[in-house]
Amino acid sequence: MATQRPNYSEEDLVESLKQNDRVAFEYLYDHYSGALFNVICKVLRDNEKAEDVLQDAFLKIWKSITSYDPAKGRLFTWMLNIARNSAIDAVRSEGRKPGMDDITENPDRTDQNATYQPSTSTLDLKALVDTLRPERKVLVDLVYFQGYTQEEASKELDIPLGTVKSRIRTALQDLKLYFKL
Amino acid sequence: MNTRDYIESGILEEYVLGAVSSQERQEVECLSKVYPEVKAELTRLEETLEQYALLHQTPVPARLKNDIFAQMTFGSIAEPQEAADIQETYVRPMPGGSTEIQPGPTAAVRPLWAMMAVAASVLLAIFAGWAAYQMSQTRAQNDQLAAEMSELRQRAEYNEALAANYRNPDVKVVRMPGLDKAPESIVVALWNQKTNDVLLDVQNLPVAPAGKQYQLWTIVDGKPVDMGMLDQEFSNRLLHMKSSSPNAVAFAITLEKEGGSPNPTMEEMYVMGKV
Repeated sequence: MATQRPNYSEEDLVESLKQNDRVAFEYLYDHYSGALFNVICKVLRDNEKAEDVLQDAFLKIWKSITSYDPAKGRLFTWMLNIARNSAIDAVRSEGRKPGMDDITENPDRTDQNATYQPSTSTLDLKALVDTLRPERKVLVDLVYFQGYTQEEASKELDIPLGTVKSRIRTALQDLKLYFKL
Repeated sequence: MNTRDYIESGILEEYVLGAVSSQERQEVECLSKVYPEVKAELTRLEETLEQYALLHQTPVPARLKNDIFAQMTFGSIAEPQEAADIQETYVRPMPGGSTEIQPGPTAAVRPLWAMMAVAASVLLAIFAGWAAYQMSQTRAQNDQLAAEMSELRQRAEYNEALAANYRNPDVKVVRMPGLDKAPESIVVALWNQKTNDVLLDVQNLPVAPAGKQYQLWTIVDGKPVDMGMLDQEFSNRLLHMKSSSPNAVAFAITLEKEGGSPNPTMEEMYVMGKV
């Protein structure tokens, strides 16, 4: 994965962003907007509105970068929370619930839009990730990408809360192994 | 604390998924500061999810980047104006990073505490000044009140003494009206017939000119007898005079040279009253 950020270490990137450096923000956008957009689209299920939300979220990231504290977590985690919360707010302002229509019937739906494939090594890894046991993957996607709470996921999929928790944990531990982190 | 149990409880996974309460979030952030192994696991999980997210990208329309960057300004250190209200976990930037100020190396940075300190000392100085002023005011007021008090007390004593004398059947009240020199004058002699003590109550008498003093006389057997000098401060008080002869038939006051005369100056008689 080292090839994905050729110019910056996370530390340098954060430093440059806090200096309000244009190059750093362009790098940030180029590198992460696809992943953030994916999450926003999943929560909203409306790609046109998702564009507005991505715009709002990225401007929020730009405006509040000085308040980001690296000691509390990684930059991406912070940005993803902003993007996801913006999307959830947008959905709720329409009186909808953040939802995932038919994910239970179609667990692979989360990957249907994932056409951005930067390299073959990533492709291989993606294939590897897809070998995650589906019931775990669904849960991770549901909670992580779509802003569900674990309780909501438990209800949605009709799985006991304890099982939701343990499956999510196992899924993440599996992923950790895949990524060899 | 057993960090292994904590790590295996699944709370860290919930944390990176954003699925924890704010209390749990604080707990995780606190413990990851204290225990390096917790922090390490947390970072690994974050990196895991980051990689996972990067594997699931949705292409963003190219024009969107231009739209977004057209709304951003760069270069100046000046912080974007809007504070972060995105996440309660992240501290709002301090207001005061104003956009006009270009914080060069020599730019004077006045931290909030310094301004507060200045403000506090100014307030303290104002308060001290006010307190001192109040203090002096209070002191002056106190002095005035004390003076008024002692005057009232004197007056009360005077009135009480007067009343006691008027009520005393042994005391003969001899009124001395003003004569031609000062017709408005009136002085009363309170003569205790048992003890022959004489008190003077000057109700109205012109102030004695410089170098002069009033002197009280009685007429005994057709001759004036000296009864003593009136104190220059004769208002609102009873003046204790010499004892009278039981045979006195009249009281009179003349204006004499200071210290008195052996014989009254008849032309300078101000008041006179027969017993």
